[in-house]
Amino acid sequence: MSTTAPTSPRAGSHVLAAPVRWLRRNAVVLVGSAALAYLLVPNLVVLAFSFNKPAGRFNYAWRTFSTDAWTDPCGVANMCSSLGLSLRIAVLATLIATAFGTFAAFALARYRFRGKSTTNALIFLPMAMPEVVMGASLGTLFLNTRVQFGFVTILIAHVMFCLSFVVVAVKARVMSMDPRLEEAARDLYAGPFQTFCRVTLPLAAPGIAAGAMLSFALSFDDFIITQFNAGPSTVTFPMFVWGAAQRGVPVQVNVIGSAMFVLALVIVLGGQIAANRRKRV
Amino acid sequence: MTITLSGITKTFGDFTAVHPLDLTVPEGSFFALLGASGCGKTTTLRMIAGLEEPTSGTILLGDDDITHLPPHKRPVNTVFQNYALFPHLDVSENIAFGLRRRGVKSVSKQVAEMLDLVQLGDMARRKPRQLSGGQQQRVALARALINRPQVLLLDEPLGALDLKLRRQMQLELKRIQTEVGITFVHVTHDQEEAMTMADSVAVMYGGRVEQLGPPAELYENPRSTFVANFLGTSNLIEAQVVSGATAESDELRLRTVGDDTALRLPAARCAVEGVEEGAKVLVGVRPEKISLTHTDGPDTASESVAEGAPAPAGVPAGVPEGHNRLTGRITDASYLGVSWQYLIETPACSELTVYEQNVARDSRLTPGAHVVLHWRPEHTFALDAAQDAAAGEEAI
Repeated sequence: MSTTAPTSPRAGSHVLAAPVRWLRRNAVVLVGSAALAYLLVPNLVVLAFSFNKPAGRFNYAWRTFSTDAWTDPCGVANMCSSLGLSLRIAVLATLIATAFGTFAAFALARYRFRGKSTTNALIFLPMAMPEVVMGASLGTLFLNTRVQFGFVTILIAHVMFCLSFVVVAVKARVMSMDPRLEEAARDLYAGPFQTFCRVTLPLAAPGIAAGAMLSFALSFDDFIITQFNAGPSTVTFPMFVWGAAQRGVPVQVNVIGSAMFVLALVIVLGGQIAANRRKRV
Repeated sequence: MTITLSGITKTFGDFTAVHPLDLTVPEGSFFALLGASGCGKTTTLRMIAGLEEPTSGTILLGDDDITHLPPHKRPVNTVFQNYALFPHLDVSENIAFGLRRRGVKSVSKQVAEMLDLVQLGDMARRKPRQLSGGQQQRVALARALINRPQVLLLDEPLGALDLKLRRQMQLELKRIQTEVGITFVHVTHDQEEAMTMADSVAVMYGGRVEQLGPPAELYENPRSTFVANFLGTSNLIEAQVVSGATAESDELRLRTVGDDTALRLPAARCAVEGVEEGAKVLVGVRPEKISLTHTDGPDTASESVAEGAPAPAGVPAGVPEGHNRLTGRITDASYLGVSWQYLIETPACSELTVYEQNVARDSRLTPGAHVVLHWRPEHTFALDAAQDAAAGEEAI
């Protein structure tokens, strides 16, 4: 636009016209890259410091490159057992929450029943409620009913908050599914069970997978609610890191963190590549 | 196989979608259920498929009662509106779906035959979303036909296609039906589609069958204003019966209410049972049956009108003896390519539509011209005046 006025009194606008145009054209890319950098820089710092060899117990200042922590990830006492506990809980909580959440989502998306809107609202509650409140009240409940704190109480707590996310993810998917596809299956000699396995489930799968992945990440990561419902001998990985941070963070924590980051990256990229290939065929 | 619906009804809460309905679809026929949206045609189809359970009544397939059989146990397949192809399966897996569910092990030969029938041989590994609308339609057809059903149900199968492709698929469907010889039940709101393809058409309106018969019968001799207006266009003129059929003549004599003009029609073409003198009826005539003659007589420059019989007194030359006649004034003339469409104001009826073939047109037939409209009595039909003369018009 500015180039259409050659007789402009401001001769300087001519000199700036090209860079301004370039900026205008690439603004979205620039802002997007900045946002992405903002999200990823912390992860890269963690990754970089996993190759550090700190002088003291605190891994906060860069000293020298070393692969010691990567070759001996379980070199810190109790860390790998806490990691194992976290993984066991995350897997179990994900399985249970995904199964029940999927059933609930189908019920809410497909059927009309008394108390449906109340149920819909209540399902959202764990997502909206502060974790401190939820964790504390659940702990109080377990204390009063004299339930032994430990693996089971943590699992129950995790299933509870994962359930909401599964229901929301699966329900959105089920609501967008064309009911005629299942009618077509029934019309083509598929009984109720076959219709569910061959048509309904594959179609709902992306929603179920999204809910499951979300559950896993939330459960593995949770500190606050776990803190209120754990027993003396059940220390999850986030609890271990928190405890270790008081005395000095071992480099191995960065190793586990980086490994999780890389693993997530591989899963996401793999999914994208597979989806692209399917589209191209 | 013959389908017999007897006393079928369907209610959803307070709403009655289908009133007691009796319908027989003969074996091997191409049968159309025609009506506007909400007339109960799709519900009827879904009851035959087993996707809706009738509130009452029975459905027989041949001699077997299938009223309460679930859909996957009926030898009936459906081509759904918008096709409902499984998006997660490719074309050949979609087509093989029915065979596999019935435990057929080797399906590849039959799938290949079906792909050939619908001319999609090189698309076997594509996913449905990679196909055009017409290709998806053919996959849906192949997926149903591969099961060799006793009856094929088609729910608005061509609704999503553009006009040219729709015409092509109409002929294609008709060809396939003749080839496989299966009974087709076709639901559509498109009267042209129903008339082109079907051997018999049931016109539905408000959950009831208005009239059932071959397309030509429905068009030439409609029995209700809905059928008269929904299939094509009709001119409906209010008239009073002067005399009924007698021993000498099986003709009804009538007078228009508007200007007291005499009209005649064969008694068989009156939809009112036991019509009496003085009764009000709606006289109908299709726009293309009417001829127009200028009140000054035929165009001397054109030689198109050369019928022998001399015109009666007071009638311009060129209007044959014995024709029903009305006079009027042209208010609008539009060129449609194959024909001209005229709107004519007459004292008998506020507005009549006339189509004239686009051959040797009288150049004086322009808006404002006074004309005589005439047509043969056997092209006239009469309907009960106690119904809405405009029923079915808005539905088109």
